[in-house]
Amino acid sequence: MRAASGRRRVPSSRRLVGLLAGALAAGLLGGLLAGCGGNAPEPGQREVSFARPQPPGAIERGAPLSTTTAAPQRDCNREASLRPAGPPPPPAQMPPGSTMAAIVDSGLLRVGVDQNTYPFGFRDSLTGELAGFDVDIAREIAEAIFGDARKIQFVTLTSQEREPALQQDRVDIVVRTMTITCARREKVDFSTVYYQAGQRVLVHRDFDFKGLESLTGKRVCAAAGSTSIDNLINATWRPVPVSVSVWTDCLVMLQQDQVAAVSTDDNILAGLAAQDPYTEVVGDPFTEEPYGVAIRKGREDLVRFVNGVLERIRQDGTWADIYRTWLSELGPVPAPPAAKYLP
Amino acid sequence: MATSAASRPTVRLHAITAAARTTPGRYGLITAALLVLCVAFGVVSAVRLQARSDALDDLVTSSEPLAIAAQDTYRALSDADATAAAAFLAGGVEPPQVRQRYEDDIAKAGSALATAASAAASSEQAGRSVARLTTYLPVYTGLVEAARANNRQGFPLGAAYLREASGLMQSTLLPAARELFESETARLVRTENRATPLPVVEVLLGLLAIGALLAAQVYLRRRTNRVLNVGLLAATTASGLVLLWVLIAAAGVMINVGQARDRGSARVQQLATARIAAQQARGDETLTLIARGAGAEYEQRYAFQIERLGGTDGGSGMLGAARSDVSDPAVRALVQEATDRQQVWRAAHAEIRRLDGSGRYQEAVDVAIEPQAANGAAVAFTALDESLGKAIELSRQRFDAEVRSARSVLSWSVAGVALLTVLAVAGGGWGMWQRIREYR
Repeated sequence: MRAASGRRRVPSSRRLVGLLAGALAAGLLGGLLAGCGGNAPEPGQREVSFARPQPPGAIERGAPLSTTTAAPQRDCNREASLRPAGPPPPPAQMPPGSTMAAIVDSGLLRVGVDQNTYPFGFRDSLTGELAGFDVDIAREIAEAIFGDARKIQFVTLTSQEREPALQQDRVDIVVRTMTITCARREKVDFSTVYYQAGQRVLVHRDFDFKGLESLTGKRVCAAAGSTSIDNLINATWRPVPVSVSVWTDCLVMLQQDQVAAVSTDDNILAGLAAQDPYTEVVGDPFTEEPYGVAIRKGREDLVRFVNGVLERIRQDGTWADIYRTWLSELGPVPAPPAAKYLP
Repeated sequence: MATSAASRPTVRLHAITAAARTTPGRYGLITAALLVLCVAFGVVSAVRLQARSDALDDLVTSSEPLAIAAQDTYRALSDADATAAAAFLAGGVEPPQVRQRYEDDIAKAGSALATAASAAASSEQAGRSVARLTTYLPVYTGLVEAARANNRQGFPLGAAYLREASGLMQSTLLPAARELFESETARLVRTENRATPLPVVEVLLGLLAIGALLAAQVYLRRRTNRVLNVGLLAATTASGLVLLWVLIAAAGVMINVGQARDRGSARVQQLATARIAAQQARGDETLTLIARGAGAEYEQRYAFQIERLGGTDGGSGMLGAARSDVSDPAVRALVQEATDRQQVWRAAHAEIRRLDGSGRYQEAVDVAIEPQAANGAAVAFTALDESLGKAIELSRQRFDAEVRSARSVLSWSVAGVALLTVLAVAGGGWGMWQRIREYR
């Protein structure tokens, strides 16, 4: 047996070395596989879709919703308000128990206004103060109540918030380019008309405007909750209405080519055009928009008081002064809109 | 023996089983087995140690800087939004320090984004977030400049552009920045975990190798009546040292990385989240004033953020949690400072709301943004922001120091383990060869 294994021993030592080499290799390989792992991912191409930003709250409107212009305007004699009760009381000496006395007691007149609609209610960026036609009317009312035009707390409202703010008693009056309509009269009371506006259209200078039909199928912008957006939704010339929260958002969309036109009251459009010389106000007025001061229902003494203030400013030239300050761009000062009273 | 035999053709299998019947053949097979085990153990240990070392390198050079870059992007963007709002509120041409702060924020966001962009290569989600941020950041700054240009001409149109910019920031940029922040923080935690796995495989292989060596020595002692086999003994000692080294290195790294996490990255993340909540509260406070009576929604958001920041009384919430979680006294002092300043800010905010509610709007604005008013909101917020910034910086330094300690634990470990493995293999081979040689 020894001899046999001796004959086999010589070649088996080579085999042994080969065996050992193989063992080392196997050990190395196994170790490396056990220890390593993981692949590096490859960088790839990434496409990002770019969506142009829009003003927050911009919505394209489809079919007509139930609107504030559901009922015809002329039926309810919307412009007629309550007659003032005699000469106005002196400032800060309001009849006891009246709404005005309560306001005097609270120390401030809370007024709902806008801060984005030049030149009716806007924030003067140089001073940080609110200014405009509506703001001056509100100051006249505060002056008549307190003797001091600064005793006002301004609450800025969007077009949609005007009626709820009165109903929830967050403000005493709203002076904010508010058109008197029959539907609104069911929720709030209005003073007499202090400004007469009409709806027109604002477009780029190089837009070929040939009447309202040239806007059929085109996107037209107006603020949510305004009579303007309702007029667009119900318009026979079928534009695509786009609603936003404030009027300046419409101008932003026009400048970003996201709408073809803006349509609202001519005075508001004039204020937008004043901020962008490449736009112009076109077309004839196709609605009548009488503005009134809105007051919560059930405060008839305040309605009469405000009408008294408005009557005074019509008579003594204050209205003309306010017009001249803010709206001289629209042309010479017209006569103030006449007051209509209920019998 | 079966493992190495399985990889050979069947003809050789007969040769091996034939060899196993002879003593030198058996010794040869034992040697092969021992070598396989020693080499496998050594290689696995070395490779795993190298992996830990790589993970630590990754932490210092890549994961942590990227997580910080993502945080900086998020912080800078939310501060830019708050600052743009404050600039608008200041009216007219904004005060120079406010303008400077806005510009610094945009620059910081841009450069942090450029750093964070390298994360895009390794993560699909990070890539999407970075792509969205780089696409829309210039759009945002463009809108802010349009707002500024219109403001300068006294047009209210400026406010509309600012609103659009803020809407873009809130709806697109900040969510993308937050996603990036979260994904990079998760990646940091994963890298920390990669550096601290339990050395289970190494220990098993080590015990197997040492066990096999001891069994071989026992077998030889029984067969040859020689108590000591120097080579095998050396091999056993070397393998034992490798096992010890692996255990000590793993334990050291785990302790250091654990410290790095507790005192470093986890604190940084906690404090950074608190800082961003403070900035968003500041932005909402300013927007409430800008909205001028129509800002109830912003005031609610302010209340939500300030409650997250300090709880109902100012002493709990994120700041309270940070104060109790922090162990470093210097960092704790800064967090305490931040909590105190937050209380001053809360008092200033109550004053702002009181003034605004009683019609004294301009005074409310002054308390909110006047940089000289000692008890004003601007001063308190800026001081709070700075305290948190310093606390974050200190925690980052601590993280750095701990990771460096971990790396020093691992220095030379791979080379040492390789050397000891070679010694084990040489010793084992030589020891068995002595016995095999006797059969010639």
